[in-house]
Amino acid sequence: MTHTLIHLSSSPYSSLSCKEGLDLALVLATFEQPVDLCLSGAALALLVSNQAPLPEHGKNLHKLLDGLEMYDIENIYIEAGKLEIESGKAWSGVTELDKAQWAKLFSNYQQVFRF
Amino acid sequence: MQYTLLITGSPYQTKACHTALRFAKAALKKYPESIRGVFFYEDAVLIGNNLSQPPRDEINLLKEWQSLSEQHNTPLYLCIAAAVRRGILSESESKRYESKQHSLADHFQLEGLGTLIDLMNSTNKVIQFR
Repeated sequence: MTHTLIHLSSSPYSSLSCKEGLDLALVLATFEQPVDLCLSGAALALLVSNQAPLPEHGKNLHKLLDGLEMYDIENIYIEAGKLEIESGKAWSGVTELDKAQWAKLFSNYQQVFRF
Repeated sequence: MQYTLLITGSPYQTKACHTALRFAKAALKKYPESIRGVFFYEDAVLIGNNLSQPPRDEINLLKEWQSLSEQHNTPLYLCIAAAVRRGILSESESKRYESKQHSLADHFQLEGLGTLIDLMNSTNKVIQFR
């Protein structure tokens, strides 16, 4: 069985990329395919708490994060030091990797898709 | 070696569909069975809009993909959710949404992401073009 990493790097509200990447992760999990997530760049905004997007911004993707565990998506990685906000103001379910671990992450999977 | 191509880049904002086409042509020329299927997701589904009319002195990317599919019997799948939200509807989806128009080009099929997962599990490698 292939192990897939979905790499989100797009802003959650500037395009549909982040949402469609999450959709793919959820479908993979529904089909019992092992899948992990990692976030970098503008996609890190997804983790910020107390988001209140208007319909014009799109769906509140932050709300999806708490449901990931129900789909057995338990590994959500970010690179340490990249999320430049106080720890209490961000979603707490991420695992921080140091620079070397982050660089190695992408070779741990048979498939890596970027959104 | 069999490949699945996953194309996510818009045909208008990126060269993802163009580059994937060149890759597919080269692969199929050398190994006729090498592409198991092509799955279009995100804005790449816009490639399947039968109503698009590129200027006559530019490449007609839709026709190029249709011709490739016809020549090599390569299935072209559009993610149904991504396509329908962007106005690419087959005749049956059009009826389901009570719309009078349909816009899905020939040789393209609307399929769920489950089809992509089947492709992932039945080919050696998936290559994303974004």
